[in-house]
Amino acid sequence: MNDPFVVNPQPGLVFRAPREWTRLHPVSPLLGGWAVMGAVVAIAAYNILPEWLGGSDAVKDTVSYIWGSILWVAVGVLLLIGIVIAMGYAQWRVNEYRLSDTAVEERKGILMKQHRQARLDRLQAVDVVQPLLARIFGFASLKIEVAGGAESGIELQFMRLGDAEAMRNELLALAAGVKRAKAQGLDASVDAVVAGAGVAPGAPFPGADAMGTQAPVVQTPDGHVPRDDSSGAATYAAAGSLRDVARPFERGVAEVAETPEREIYHVEVKRLLMSIVLSAGFWWMLSIPVIVIISIIVAGGGSLTALLAATGGGLVAILPAVLAVGGYAWNELNSGFNFRAALSEDGIRLRHGLTETRRQTLPPGRIQAVKFKQGLLWRKRDWWKVTINVAGYQDEAEKVSTLLPVGDRQDALTALWMVLPDLGDPDPAGTVSLALSGTGEDGGFTGVPQRARLFDPLQWRNRGVRATDRALFIRRGWLTREVCVVPHERTQSLGISQGPLQRARHVADVQVHSTNGPVRPVARHLDVEDAVALLDAQAARAAEGRKHQTPEQWMSAVGLRD
Amino acid sequence: MTWYHPDSTDWTYVSRSLIPARIITLWIWIAVPAIALVVVGALTSPWVFAGLAVLLLVGLWGSWVVVRQVTAHAWMEREDDLVVKKGRLWRSVTVVPYGRMQYVEVSAGPLARAFGIATVQLHTASPGTDAAIAGVPAEEAARLRDRLSSRGEAQLAGL
Repeated sequence: MNDPFVVNPQPGLVFRAPREWTRLHPVSPLLGGWAVMGAVVAIAAYNILPEWLGGSDAVKDTVSYIWGSILWVAVGVLLLIGIVIAMGYAQWRVNEYRLSDTAVEERKGILMKQHRQARLDRLQAVDVVQPLLARIFGFASLKIEVAGGAESGIELQFMRLGDAEAMRNELLALAAGVKRAKAQGLDASVDAVVAGAGVAPGAPFPGADAMGTQAPVVQTPDGHVPRDDSSGAATYAAAGSLRDVARPFERGVAEVAETPEREIYHVEVKRLLMSIVLSAGFWWMLSIPVIVIISIIVAGGGSLTALLAATGGGLVAILPAVLAVGGYAWNELNSGFNFRAALSEDGIRLRHGLTETRRQTLPPGRIQAVKFKQGLLWRKRDWWKVTINVAGYQDEAEKVSTLLPVGDRQDALTALWMVLPDLGDPDPAGTVSLALSGTGEDGGFTGVPQRARLFDPLQWRNRGVRATDRALFIRRGWLTREVCVVPHERTQSLGISQGPLQRARHVADVQVHSTNGPVRPVARHLDVEDAVALLDAQAARAAEGRKHQTPEQWMSAVGLRD
Repeated sequence: MTWYHPDSTDWTYVSRSLIPARIITLWIWIAVPAIALVVVGALTSPWVFAGLAVLLLVGLWGSWVVVRQVTAHAWMEREDDLVVKKGRLWRSVTVVPYGRMQYVEVSAGPLARAFGIATVQLHTASPGTDAAIAGVPAEEAARLRDRLSSRGEAQLAGL
């Protein structure tokens, strides 16, 4: 392996998060897409409006005369674009951000003033997002997600791609330093962290050697080892802007280079496409027009008129279905395209996207829950989708909460391993495999009593729950299989509930409350004694887990540190 | 054992003042359509008053449910967590570790204030945490909030 750790050959030339209030990049208002949209609408109106108005020739003539006078049109278009740009500019002028002593702050808004803070000690994830237009011109927005309710995240839109990445690296390093300082009872302000030895960002980290020489790390059945081709992956951090040249940072700290990373898996486009074709949603939507045509033919008795009506009706039905299929497939393709997962000391790095690319960094231990899901059509190939709950991702949950859009069992196990390197089980791969495809009491699971068949005639055998030393596994699903995994130390709160019918059947539900996201772990219809025991045991395990989990443990467990 | 009965500490049941407070709210909601029915009945047919009888029955049944619910609503402070139970027909118990509390909210509407009670709600990072204790006596609510907050700070465990 070449030395990928020297990523910042020109110290002092890299963007650093400003400590004074600073505006975003001046092209931001143009990248928002409104100006372009304005222009497109204007041009479209120019072309289409006369046709639409239609009617008598006189009207048409008048309209085309008005529209025809190119001067007016030009003036109108320019005016529209001008207004849009002016508004964008005005908003850009009041939109400022800075790195304060404890948080990233943003203020914006002309009429409604907003002031947001993203505290570093609550930082959950930092994403670099590039919508299509921004991507073409090399810009990106930086999304900073923190724990604690809606309206708490910050989106800096837009910065140069290099700047955004540099700032992301800096924030992640600072956040880790702040956490460490807090844990050691030191001054946890940014200045203190930067000045102290708490963070030596950019310097190769102590366990760097371990990355190259790590023995097989994934505890999977066939000793699968993550690919190791990270060299060069980290080199773009320094390719950013030169904005700071004129005003070097006084304290002269090393710029924060991206910590080296090791790619763990990536999803091939072929498999992604296949997985979309094999998804239930795809077939459902395709079947809609077929069902419509058949029902019309049956109802019409097979006459010619009925057939014609069927064709017409079918076409009408097909159009939205095609659009829906297209939209669904496109979403899956766009967000899962070129999906790559890597490990670095900052945490798990995910990169994906076709038109809009997103680079997510999830610091260690910020993943609250994991869900494996397998549709019926995926079962033969043993493919799984892995989604996660991350505190702070409030909106667009589906897009940002995918850890693995599609992968075989090996990939799925690897994905879980990244989140939870230590399952606290002597045979993790076996346990997870039984969780994924076992039934009943297989693998030490607590099943659901036969009494619960009333509620779940088909899937009661598939339901099951099991706790290892480090995580709780909840299995369910008959056709579509699902397994939720919640690390004990990430359990927010617990609940047990029972309705009147459940009481008659002597069963109860246990809920494990996780943060917002696609994973909602509930163990339903457990025997009441089992449920109560699980609740008590889980409360104890969660309390125990909270006392012990640290990022350092994660790093050593995934092989980033000794 | 048929349900969740932990043995460490005893449950603290919510104030019985919650019963009149909830019943008054319930009957305000009953009264609005009832008045409408009376007006309509007076103008049209006396059969409309049958609806009134149904409303009254619903109100009486609702009042009984309120009494049952309030007498089942309790909380318990344990060493590491707070336990809240509620409901009779659909019953649930929620366990909230102090270290997971983001903040504690005490709220009281005008009616609750008149009865000297308040609602104490615990918020965690999970929207699923349903840990509201309705009908805590006002002074006790303030004390409970302070106690919970200090315990939360002492045991705070990040996310």
